[in-house]
Amino acid sequence: MIIDKKTLGHLAELSRTEVDPEKESKLLKDLENILAYFEELKTLDTKRVEPMAGGAALTNVFRGDEETLRLVNEKALGAFPEKERGFLKTPPVFEGEDF
Amino acid sequence: MPHFYPKNLTVKSFAEGLKNRDFKAREVAEYFLKEIEKANPELNAYLSVFAESAIEEAKAVDRKIEVGSGLPPLAGVPIALKDNILVEGTKKTTAGSKILEFYEASYDAYVVERLRAQDAVFLGKTNLDEFAMGSSTENSAFGPTKNPYDLLRTPGGSSGGSVAAVAAGLALAALGSDTGGSIRQPAAFCGVVGLRPTYGEVSRRGLIAMASSLDQIGTITKNVEDAAILFDAIRGADDFDSTSADSEKVSSPTHLHKDDFREMVIGVPQEYMRSDLDPAVLKGMEYAMDKFKTLGFKIVPVSLPHTHYALAAYYIIVPAEVSTNLARFDGIRYRGTKNQQPTTHNLSEIYLKTRGEGFGDEVKRRILLGTFVLSAGHYDAYYAKAQKVRSLISRDFDEAWKKVDVIFAPTTPTTAFKLGDKSADPISMYLSDVFTIPANLAGLPSISIPVKKYDLGGGELPVGFQLIGRHFHERAILGVGELYESL
Repeated sequence: MIIDKKTLGHLAELSRTEVDPEKESKLLKDLENILAYFEELKTLDTKRVEPMAGGAALTNVFRGDEETLRLVNEKALGAFPEKERGFLKTPPVFEGEDF
Repeated sequence: MPHFYPKNLTVKSFAEGLKNRDFKAREVAEYFLKEIEKANPELNAYLSVFAESAIEEAKAVDRKIEVGSGLPPLAGVPIALKDNILVEGTKKTTAGSKILEFYEASYDAYVVERLRAQDAVFLGKTNLDEFAMGSSTENSAFGPTKNPYDLLRTPGGSSGGSVAAVAAGLALAALGSDTGGSIRQPAAFCGVVGLRPTYGEVSRRGLIAMASSLDQIGTITKNVEDAAILFDAIRGADDFDSTSADSEKVSSPTHLHKDDFREMVIGVPQEYMRSDLDPAVLKGMEYAMDKFKTLGFKIVPVSLPHTHYALAAYYIIVPAEVSTNLARFDGIRYRGTKNQQPTTHNLSEIYLKTRGEGFGDEVKRRILLGTFVLSAGHYDAYYAKAQKVRSLISRDFDEAWKKVDVIFAPTTPTTAFKLGDKSADPISMYLSDVFTIPANLAGLPSISIPVKKYDLGGGELPVGFQLIGRHFHERAILGVGELYESL
């Protein structure tokens, strides 16, 4: 198994996404099937092929350094569930006996 | 009793009727809103309906007509928008997900700004697979949409709501998004025209991102002529999307001279015309090719040898980009599924729980898969490899353009499948995009056109074919498509 239970736990932690224990075995099976499907790419010789990153062949796209007031403060803050004095409020990152 | 004929109404005929004062924008808007009220509980095409603002927008257009103002091409046109496109102030912009159930959009998407500038009327936001991940709209957290041609079948996805709305006469036109076929596949399943533009033609500002190197907003209309009008309205370089291109330099405006296109050579890729196609699809392709022959087109076989590997490459690249784009949904910056009040003050647990509860199964699958293919020790074997395969697929098309101007292909391997048929097996769902994905990987424009006109009560499931064009040559696929429809 390329992705086993331990790896899945690791991926869940990396992506900060909790997996429902009841759905775990089906998830492992689905991921296994999908990864098996990818195996056929190994038969392709891509040694001298440049990777293609994106859909556009543009490079160094910048816009002028002009102020165009787009998103007014209140609107941007409006989406925050918790806010205080114009700041996004979050639970403490560091807490507990370590500090 | 409306004195316009809704079934035959198109964006173009609506504009003419409005100008000739055959009807008012307001009565057409009211008509559509009433139809939505009747049909939507069953169909579930719309997630939110803008009943009041639509009427106000229509009234404003009528006032302009009263004073004799000139009208832009889309004035008063009742349009539906996929719910991953931001419309400022709408209380719920969900992307089909519980994790955004209470998100209020804080700005208009670029395409919305452009439509507003033309006084279009917004009917509401339509249903989609969660974060545009899916091919049937069954992954929506708010229930699936049904196919207007057969209520036991899916309309396809992920733009199922937008497509069902146009097909069922609940909007005159709609916008969707297409990353791997999410406009074209449902368009084929529901007998409407779906255009996915060249990557970079239409700004992605205000489109909730799924896979940034592949996403494009596109049009869903009853015919090709309308697709050209709507596409012209939404395309353009945007300072706030660095991947949007100034295509004015490359392609001319979409004013079409019909005879110019008869000289184009149509290529048919042998890899797409598989013998295991659904018989209805095979029959549809034969019918369409006969029509092209009757129109006098030269049809030439071509080969796109790496077609077979496109699906695998796509389903490595997309989850990778998804895992990055969806990292922002942490329940802190965007309103979470509920006000997570302390069962915990632990930040890490808030992330885990919000995302665990807020994301559906397919989204989670892709996030985890994406995390895996980008992780140390696996990056080269999967993601880097997939990017190289992407180059090969793109090169296949480059080779083909030496011989042909437009590529003809089936849009889907089957007609619309039944609700529940593919939802247990991710790979069988992915396979429904096998013909649409390659164009996305190469960044090419592609339009799905119904093989013929279908009737909602007719008992026949629609079939669509694709026309794929060179980068920024929407003009070619629209022109050839219009000739097809004129026969």
